[in-house]
Amino acid sequence: MLTRKSAVVSGSSTRRLRSSAARIMGKTMDRRAFLKHSGLGMGAGAIATQLPYNLIGSAEAAESTENRMAGGEEVKRTVCTHCSVGCAVDAVVKNGVWVRQEPVFDSPINLGAHCAKGASVREHGHGEHRLKYPMKLVDGKYQKISWEQALNEVGDRLLKIREESGPDAVYWIGSSKHNNEQSYLLRKFVSFWGTNNCDHQARICHSTTVAGVANTWGYGAMTNSYNDMQFAKAMLFIGSNAAEAHPVSLLHILHAKENGARMIVVDPRFTRTAAKADHYVRIRSGTDIPFIWGMLYHIFKNGWEDTKYINDRVFGLEKVKEEIMTWTPEKVTEVTGIPEEQVFKVAEAMAKNKPSTVVWCMGQTQHTVGNANVRAMCILQLVLGNVGVSGGGTNIFRGHDNVQGATDVGPNPDSLPGYYGLAAGSWKHWATVWGVDYEWIKGRYASEAMMTKSGITVSRWIDGVLENNELIDQDSNLRAVVYWGHAPNSQTRGAEMVEAMKKLDTMVVIDPYPSATASMAAMVRKDGVYLLPAATQFETYGSCTASNRSLQWREKVIEPLFESKPDHTIMYAFARKFGFGDELVKNVKLTKDKQGWDEPEIEDILREINRGTWTIGYTGQSPERLKLHMKNMHTFDVKTLKAVGGPCDGEYFGLPWPCFGTAEMKHPGTPNLYDTSKHVMDGGGNFRANFGVERDGVSLLAADGSASKGADLQMGYPEFDHVLLKKLGWWDELTDAEKALAEGKNWKTDLSGGIQRVVMKNHGCHPFGNAKARALVWNFPDPVPLHREPIYSPRPDMVEKYPTHADKMAFWRLPTLYKSLQDKVKDISREYPLIMTSGRLVEYEGGGEETRSNPWLAELQQEMFAEVNPKDANDQGIRNGDYMWVESPTKAKLKVRAQVTERVGAGTVFLPFHFSGWWQGEDMLKYYPEGAAPIVRGEAVNTATTYGYDSVTMMQETKTTLCRVMKA
Amino acid sequence: MGRMKFLCDAERCIECNGCVTACKNENEVPWGVNRRRVVTINDGVPGERSMSVACMHCSDAPCMAVCPTNCFYKAEGGVVLHDKDLCIGCGYCFYACPFGAPQFPNGPSAFGERGKMDKCTFCAGGPEETGSKEEYAKYGSNRLAEGKLPACAEMCSTKALLAGDSAAVSDIFRDRVLRRGKGLEAWGWMTAYGAEQKEGAK
Amino acid sequence: MNTRGLMSMLAAVVLAVGLTGCGEQPQVVSYEQGKYQGKADSQPWDNPVFKGDKAAWELAMKNRTRGQNEYNRTQ
Repeated sequence: MLTRKSAVVSGSSTRRLRSSAARIMGKTMDRRAFLKHSGLGMGAGAIATQLPYNLIGSAEAAESTENRMAGGEEVKRTVCTHCSVGCAVDAVVKNGVWVRQEPVFDSPINLGAHCAKGASVREHGHGEHRLKYPMKLVDGKYQKISWEQALNEVGDRLLKIREESGPDAVYWIGSSKHNNEQSYLLRKFVSFWGTNNCDHQARICHSTTVAGVANTWGYGAMTNSYNDMQFAKAMLFIGSNAAEAHPVSLLHILHAKENGARMIVVDPRFTRTAAKADHYVRIRSGTDIPFIWGMLYHIFKNGWEDTKYINDRVFGLEKVKEEIMTWTPEKVTEVTGIPEEQVFKVAEAMAKNKPSTVVWCMGQTQHTVGNANVRAMCILQLVLGNVGVSGGGTNIFRGHDNVQGATDVGPNPDSLPGYYGLAAGSWKHWATVWGVDYEWIKGRYASEAMMTKSGITVSRWIDGVLENNELIDQDSNLRAVVYWGHAPNSQTRGAEMVEAMKKLDTMVVIDPYPSATASMAAMVRKDGVYLLPAATQFETYGSCTASNRSLQWREKVIEPLFESKPDHTIMYAFARKFGFGDELVKNVKLTKDKQGWDEPEIEDILREINRGTWTIGYTGQSPERLKLHMKNMHTFDVKTLKAVGGPCDGEYFGLPWPCFGTAEMKHPGTPNLYDTSKHVMDGGGNFRANFGVERDGVSLLAADGSASKGADLQMGYPEFDHVLLKKLGWWDELTDAEKALAEGKNWKTDLSGGIQRVVMKNHGCHPFGNAKARALVWNFPDPVPLHREPIYSPRPDMVEKYPTHADKMAFWRLPTLYKSLQDKVKDISREYPLIMTSGRLVEYEGGGEETRSNPWLAELQQEMFAEVNPKDANDQGIRNGDYMWVESPTKAKLKVRAQVTERVGAGTVFLPFHFSGWWQGEDMLKYYPEGAAPIVRGEAVNTATTYGYDSVTMMQETKTTLCRVMKA
Repeated sequence: MGRMKFLCDAERCIECNGCVTACKNENEVPWGVNRRRVVTINDGVPGERSMSVACMHCSDAPCMAVCPTNCFYKAEGGVVLHDKDLCIGCGYCFYACPFGAPQFPNGPSAFGERGKMDKCTFCAGGPEETGSKEEYAKYGSNRLAEGKLPACAEMCSTKALLAGDSAAVSDIFRDRVLRRGKGLEAWGWMTAYGAEQKEGAK
Repeated sequence: MNTRGLMSMLAAVVLAVGLTGCGEQPQVVSYEQGKYQGKADSQPWDNPVFKGDKAAWELAMKNRTRGQNEYNRTQ
């Protein structure tokens, strides 16, 4: 008989062993190359590792010696913080420790399902690789400092810069990982600091979508929902690898497929999504418009368009059609590389299986023509009459868990919360809501002109530092950058970024995992860098907006770990240091946390958002209503998201915005935008009248009979204001109190909500009017979306035919190159013949520091790699699993493992973008703050990416540039 | 109650590895030990299919047949479990298992370089007091005793991985296959039941 | 070796075999070559959650298994 061994190993030693094993493993095992191709997958892991006898090194979970069946646990309902699907998680907490994670079968969004990231969020309760206390770079090494010292030193340095160079000299990079309340508070905070120089991940994610789609029909958001895709009969994915980027959406998508929907994937890569599709089309990266026009060519040729819909609800299609009909099949094939019969097949599938929907992600948006790509998609859906239809729409899958919310109410350089813009009227609206004097805010800015001018974007902050001062559209260059929940390796031109970092006076990083920024900065600097530990969203609470516009409420799971603080607490602490603490929280109660810090109450912040954000209907989602939804998830239908009975009867899950009026008006939220088949008080709607009532003598309003169900005005009509209400004789339906507030106001600025109430509840009309969607967006550089070759194109002959835009002088405060650069590099494809493109892996998210610090995820993806076609690999003598160099025209070189695969076509190299921690062949471990390096490190693709920005939003071009590969 | 089984629907598995991290999370499985894995064939080319694989809890389990210390037993529902106190880490079960389920964390063990065998328990713990610290440390969670199914299946992103009573699981799968109107996606269907039908036939 | 444990385990097996005799074929191959040498395990319903009520446990498992069929919620 065997002697029983002690299963007890002390927690810390287990941790040490586990992480040291992790480090060793990181260098020796390549899952993708080895596991997948060997066919010996199961055996591989059974071979040597360096682990102690006791298998389950569960110091954290087994902290209590109690029996796990003993009870005494609390369940906190939260939402995964990785992508925008919004999967609910039940966190089981015992004695303040997050001991288990249970699936939430009741959630209508994920029905308990999780991908690798979602199934591992409990690791946030361990956080071994996090920044544990404030740190400061001293002589090239990070040293621990106290919070007090950190707040004082950072505060003093920033105030000094503000004094010397003005408020615009500091750049604030906010976060799509903040909850709605925090991201909203940050926009307010930055305004009170006195600048519009703030931004967040949406800029480099879906900014082109937001601008392009909003300018087409009103709102720049996913029109339908993941759930609604179950009603689709055909689904077209272009530039979306949902199976890796939004895995749980596949629950609904495969469900639709199982019930007969056609699934089509168009992508330069045969993605895991493509593996599930009925039809896969390989496209040359950066030629989306010719492909879409090619489809529309067949649709028009065959009379598959929805004539009545186009006539009633679409403006300016004739002009677009002229361009479309020039895209003959031969021309489409020449540019895209797709044979005609495939284009025809896709067009036919979409036209003959209606409702059909489209899905796009970064593959469409991250291009110099991103805004035009997305408008072409909108036009496709308009021609087919698919918008405002359940099962149709443009299902734009957003990236981060709260990127939608941060776009809606967060730190955007061109707008105040709710897309109000930066005009004086918008400032006055928000000043009233904030309870502060407009003149005071104005006094905080360098000038009124700077107050109404869009700031620099996160994609270009480096140029705000490096660009010649004469050429920038603000007084001083940027002297300080605050990275507040944003990775540096997600922005392009990394090689130039370290130059910018070097030049800065001060860098501040506020993040649970600040390490990529910290290591890049420490590589080029000796001092002037501060790291402040922020808490994750599991250590605070608040609302977040999923891609489908549903808001979900997160409960706090655990107290902030180590010395970390929630972001809004840190904001208030800095606001006090800067002298606007009282103004920041005028309407917000403060509570003391355990260490005696003042924490602004999240519910109060949401109530303030509710009071001000009328444009997009963030007014009906009171904290109370959201909490009720989280408790009654099981009452919502999985396909329609509508509650059947129960306390939320008739409402849509998470009150997807627009949820108009006050919470008392009980608007149910809008599951599918612009859906005229429903009454507005049941989530119906129509296209927005946001661009005037006529253009060149043609009415922009919708045709008669195309209003939402039950509307008193069954015709097109403009947006509502006090004048229109009076004209229609509806004014007296307002109460006296409402009249007092609504006088002189419109539906967006009436703080009483009376205008929205009367228009919607009494008359069934839409407060934003009823207009046509614009196929022709006359205010954009290309009113008709035109194909333009990427700046770094592999085809000089195509550059000749389809050149890019002209250079711009002051564009988001910076000179921006197009044609001059394209001409300069026109023939560079002779030296750099391969297309370099990037994308996501299922195991990691965003810049990846957080997920690469999670051992459960890190183990699955241990090395940075690049996918290269066998032809290109063989031409260079590179074999599967070899190290190779990927060099871009910037001369930056990345050392990565070669994954030789037909997943990419010949001539294309794909690199995942979640890695950082290697710099052109060198491990940056020594530059990391001690104990805060992620388990897995690798080359960041953006170290090598090139110049190129969208002509409307300054979106960076990441999807099409060039490179060459060599054996390392 | 009949037999407890896993079934992975290859038509739905998207290789997201949710099952793998769910297992790691629920059972605190250390680095290098993989009670569950996703295996992909035809990676990157048409025909790519993935399958999540763990211990299949065989009816006639080869591991059980070959174990020299007879440390295996069948728990309720035919779940194959073993007593780690008895295991000598010889690795014979690993040779016998057609799925590579047994895992051998290396360690400072008196029994060669392998350490005690570890494998999927169907989240049914092991031969220690249910829910005790010892059970969790050696075998992991005992979800079955809580009336729950294995974490991997419960958290599967597309409900590709199903677990539970084999009859009930078959019902769910049969229902799906009927809706698809074709059977050829079921793993091994073609091998077992003949020639491939026309691609895309619905 | 804990003989009492083994005995109760055997008793449970005998009981189970006896019951299956009433209807179904035994699903579990009985093992010839070796006899389990390890510690006895308790049944999944022998705990504070189910308090020894096998029927309650089986019902819970059945519901949980059925819960995996999302068609139940998307008809």
